[in-house]
Amino acid sequence: MSSNHTLLLRKLLLSSGSKSRLYFAMATLSLGATLLLLSVLTWWNFNQLVGGNSNSANTNTCLVIGKQITDLNMGHAAANTFSTDEIAALGKVSGVVDIGVVSAAAFPAFAVLDGNISMSTEMPLESVPDRFLDTIPDGWNWQPGDRYLPVILSAQFLDIYNYVFAPGQGLPQLSRSSVKSVALKLRIGGEDGMVLSAHVVGFSDNINSVLVPSSLIEFGNRTYNHNSGTIQPSQIVVKVTDPTQKVFTTYLQQHGYATNAQNGRWAKIRAMVEVVSLATGLLAVLLMGISMFVFILFVQLMLTRAAAAINLLWQLGYGFRYLYSFTAKQILPLAIAALCIAPILSIAAQVAIAGIAKKNDIILPLLPGWPVWLVFAISSTVLLWLLSSGLKKALQTENKG
Amino acid sequence: MHLSLQNVIPGYLSSRAGAGISGIWGKDILFNARAYVLLQAPSGSGKTTLVHILYGMPIPYSGAVCWGNEQINQINDKSLSRLRAGHLSIIFQDLRLFPNLTVWENIEIKRLLSPAVSQELAEEWLSRLGIHNKIHVQVGKLSYGEQQRVAIVRALVQPFNWLLMDEPFSHLDSTNRNKAITLIAEVAAAQQAGLIIAALDTNDYFPYTISYKI
Repeated sequence: MSSNHTLLLRKLLLSSGSKSRLYFAMATLSLGATLLLLSVLTWWNFNQLVGGNSNSANTNTCLVIGKQITDLNMGHAAANTFSTDEIAALGKVSGVVDIGVVSAAAFPAFAVLDGNISMSTEMPLESVPDRFLDTIPDGWNWQPGDRYLPVILSAQFLDIYNYVFAPGQGLPQLSRSSVKSVALKLRIGGEDGMVLSAHVVGFSDNINSVLVPSSLIEFGNRTYNHNSGTIQPSQIVVKVTDPTQKVFTTYLQQHGYATNAQNGRWAKIRAMVEVVSLATGLLAVLLMGISMFVFILFVQLMLTRAAAAINLLWQLGYGFRYLYSFTAKQILPLAIAALCIAPILSIAAQVAIAGIAKKNDIILPLLPGWPVWLVFAISSTVLLWLLSSGLKKALQTENKG
Repeated sequence: MHLSLQNVIPGYLSSRAGAGISGIWGKDILFNARAYVLLQAPSGSGKTTLVHILYGMPIPYSGAVCWGNEQINQINDKSLSRLRAGHLSIIFQDLRLFPNLTVWENIEIKRLLSPAVSQELAEEWLSRLGIHNKIHVQVGKLSYGEQQRVAIVRALVQPFNWLLMDEPFSHLDSTNRNKAITLIAEVAAAQQAGLIIAALDTNDYFPYTISYKI
C-alpha cells in the first residue's frame, strides 16, 4: 500500500478520533502494564534476594545454625555440638543446598594493635569453608610458615566497637577502610606459639565471628590443642535456596536449632512482599483491563464516526479483511508502543534496584528475570487479542453494507 | 463474463401483481459479455433496486443473479470485494462520493485499490470532463453536475468487465453529457467491457445490443 493510499484511508477512517483521548488511553495502558511488571519485579527481586543463585553468597542464603541454649542444656558443652548424623540429616532437609561446619580454634589467640591505638584482646578465631564467605577477599590464604594472616571480621563486631565500645572508652571510631589498614600482631598457641602479622581484609554479614583461613585453624588445632579427642562443631553453616521456606524453618524449630534472628524477620517480610505484590498486581490487572476497555471504546467510537466512510469503501470494493488489516496496522502499533514502555521502565527500575543493592553488598541481576518477561508476554498477547477482537467487532458493526 | 438473472423478484414486489408484466422481474435473462444493455423505466419502477441487486448490495429479493458462475448473494465478502474491485464498476444514481475528500482524493481512493489507470490518464479524463481545475476542491463544495462527472471518472479508473450506470447523466447538460458518453464508450471499448445503463427514457447514448423495460 502506497503512502498516499495509507494517508487517504487514515483520513477517512481514523481522523475522527480525539487525540487527547488516544493519548489518555495509551497512558493508562502504559501505567497499567508498568504497574503489573513492577509488582512482578518486586516479587522476583525478593525471591532473588532470599533464594538467588548469585555466586557471591549473601546474608539471605547463608545461615549459621547452632543449638538453642536453654536452662536445661546450658553448661553441657557436648550436648550443644552437632554430631555427624545431625549434620547429615540437616543436609538432607529440603532447600538445603550446601552444608559445612564452623571450625572454632581450640588454641589461645591474642591480638595486639600495632600503631598509635593501644589495644589488646583475646580473639575467638573460627573458620568456614571458603564457599560460605560473602566474598572471598584477595590474599585469602594461609599456609604453615606464612607470617601474614588475613582476617575477616564480623560487621557486627565493628558496629559494636563503633557505637558501643569506642564512645564509652573515649577511643576513636573506625571506618571499614581504616580497620583494613590497621596492622595487628596475632599471637597464637600461647607463650610457645607463634606471632603472625594480621590484617582485616574483609567484613562478613553472615557470620558473627573472627574468621581466618581454614588452614590456620587446622594447623593450630593440630599443633597447639593439648586436649585429646575430636572437636565437634557447635555451629553449622548452611546455604539454603530459601531461608523462609516452611519445611526448613519447621525443621529448625522441631530440632531446637537457632539461626540468625533475621531469618524469622525475612519470613514476615516475604509474606508482606507477597501480599503487596499480589495487591499491586491485581490493581494493575484491573487498571490494564480498564485502560484496554478505554482503548477499545476509543477505537469503536472512532469507527462509529467513520461508519459512512466504511460503508462506502466496502461498496467500492474494499473488503472487510482489507479494512481490518489496515485499521489493525494503524491501531495495534499504538497499543504495542504503549505496552512497550512497561518493560523499558522495568529494566530501568531493575538497573536502579541492582545499583542500590550493590551498595549494600547484595548482588541482584541487572535485567528483570523471566517471570517479568513471561507476564509481559502473556498480558500483552491477551490485551492485543482483546483489542484486535474489539476492532474486528467494531468494523463488522459499521460494515453493514 | 456473462450476467444471468433467474426469476429475480425484489422483496417489495413479491406480493404485487405488477411483477408479472415487467420485462425483467421474474424472468430468466442472460446478458452476454460486452453487451450494451439499456434498462428503461419510469421513476419508481425499480431501476435503482435492480442496479443495486446486480451490484450485490444487501437488498431482499428472490431468484438468482450470477456474474459468470458466481451467484452474487451467495459469495463471501472477499469474493464480492474482488468482483467489485476488478470486474464490476458502478456509477450510483446518488453518486456516493466522499464529500470531505477532494476530487482527486475521491479518484485516488478507487484508483489505488486496483491500479489499472495511470495518474496522468486519470487527470486527462478529468480534464476532458471539465473538472481538472477543481481537482483540489472538496467534493462537497461542487455542484451536483460536477460531482456526477467525478463519479463517472471514479468508475472508469478501475479495471472492469461490466459498468453499471444508474441515471449517470441526470444532472449534465448536453455538452458535458456527450463528453462523458464519449469517454465511457472509449474506456469500455478499451477494457472490452459491457455496459448496463438504467434510464428514465429510451435514448441512443450508446449502441445498445438489447433494451428492457422494467
